Amino acid sequence: MKTPELRIPNRLKEQLEFLGGSTLLAKQTFSEMSTKPFYGSLLVDQIYQIGVKSFPLVFITALSTGMVMSLQYGLGLEKFGGKPYVPRLVASTILREMGPVFTSLMLAARVGAGMASEIGSMVVTQQIDAIRALGTSPIKRIVIPRVLACLIVLPLLVSIANMVGNFGGMVVGSSELNLDAQFYLRRVLETSNLKDYLAGFGKTFFFALFISIPSCYFGLNVKNGTKEVGIATTKAVVVASLLILVGDFFLSKMFWIIEKWL
Amino acid sequence: MALIEIIDFRKSFSHKSVHEGVTFYVKKSECLGLVGGSGAGKSVILRSLIGLERPDSGQILIDGTDIVKFTEKDLIEIRKKVAYVFQGGALFDSMTVYENLAYPLRAHTQLAESKIADKIHAQLGEFGLSDAVNLYPAELSGGMQKRIGLARAMMMDPEIILYDEPTAGLDPYNTNKIQELILRLKAKGVTAILVTHDMPTAMNVCDKFAFLKNKIIAEQGTVEQLRNNKTSLIHQFMEGQIL
Repeated sequence: MKTPELRIPNRLKEQLEFLGGSTLLAKQTFSEMSTKPFYGSLLVDQIYQIGVKSFPLVFITALSTGMVMSLQYGLGLEKFGGKPYVPRLVASTILREMGPVFTSLMLAARVGAGMASEIGSMVVTQQIDAIRALGTSPIKRIVIPRVLACLIVLPLLVSIANMVGNFGGMVVGSSELNLDAQFYLRRVLETSNLKDYLAGFGKTFFFALFISIPSCYFGLNVKNGTKEVGIATTKAVVVASLLILVGDFFLSKMFWIIEKWL
Repeated sequence: MALIEIIDFRKSFSHKSVHEGVTFYVKKSECLGLVGGSGAGKSVILRSLIGLERPDSGQILIDGTDIVKFTEKDLIEIRKKVAYVFQGGALFDSMTVYENLAYPLRAHTQLAESKIADKIHAQLGEFGLSDAVNLYPAELSGGMQKRIGLARAMMMDPEIILYDEPTAGLDPYNTNKIQELILRLKAKGVTAILVTHDMPTAMNVCDKFAFLKNKIIAEQGTVEQLRNNKTSLIHQFMEGQIL
């Protein structure tokens, strides 16, 4: 008797393939990270490409986020006489959520798209095959430098974004809400604590993986010519952004639980 | 003894069978022309010989060792002695010609940078490409890219070289250049498989042919046998009578 074939809808199949494929890629990446050779120069290049070149984008995003939040909180709390609480609210929101999430979303858009399209083009022009044919590993040369660079750069960018965001808040606080700049800064430093900072900072390592692994996965799995490079790029940005936004909820919950233990 | 042997090779993609029991061999220092219509799966066989594709079943013996079950790590040793020349050259576009040629040496040898430089300059001199040393692939013509691809493949002095349509899309001058290079490597005793539709080049450089049709090797023979047999499939293929 012929066994009936299990028919899985294409979309579900694609999602299952992504889930399995990206998990395997992550496993392979971490297992190859500990073995020689190490390509230091490629890592430095990626740190430059991902970190230094993303800095202006992150700076502007963080500055405007801090300014807008300060303005909105200030105007909203003014009628309750709550303006002095603006520094605390802005700082806490930036440190815990807005700094890490917005910076990661910006990086997902800029870097995730770049990674997927660059790797996808390398697949189409057989450069990935050439890496393998020459007895070297595309995971080592292509994936590991990008994943490591994201893991190094994103926490640093988020730390800078936190400072810039609070600075933006302070500028609007003093210019629009009539809060003294020194008072604003003192309130931020007095009321923010290390837990606030670490709760946001801790997420960045997960977000770095949410950006780099799917982007490399979609790039490496380009199959049918240049048309698919564009599709892979879109998928990389969409998936990375969704993972950051959905993952943020669970990570926030996880860090709250950890904080309760400590 | 055969240096390359493929036995009962079967491969399919998404339930579409491409090969159903391909079998052939290549002796040391021989050059085999693997010919067949477009989409017959010639490149798939070539890619499988260095583990870029995996057959569904069958054996691929390189110097008597079956590589089908080899892991990526095991394949590194095979890839050091089997070079692959890609159709478009597959040069790394972020690297100069020098860096492309240095790539396999830096990855697999402990040679000092001065020795690597000497080797690269000698290789480029032999290939008539000395002026291209500091150029990026985007600054090279298609023919030059293919020749650099061939030069890179030769940097590790491989025992076997696999050519995937090395003359496709080239003008007669560059076709002749590639042909000369293949003949020069053949004279050095390098074993080769040439996948091509360029039959004049194949007739000049190959010792024998295998004709891939209907998912199997439908015909094999030496150049002389095929040249003299007007009814052979390869002869008909060359005359454009069959696909």
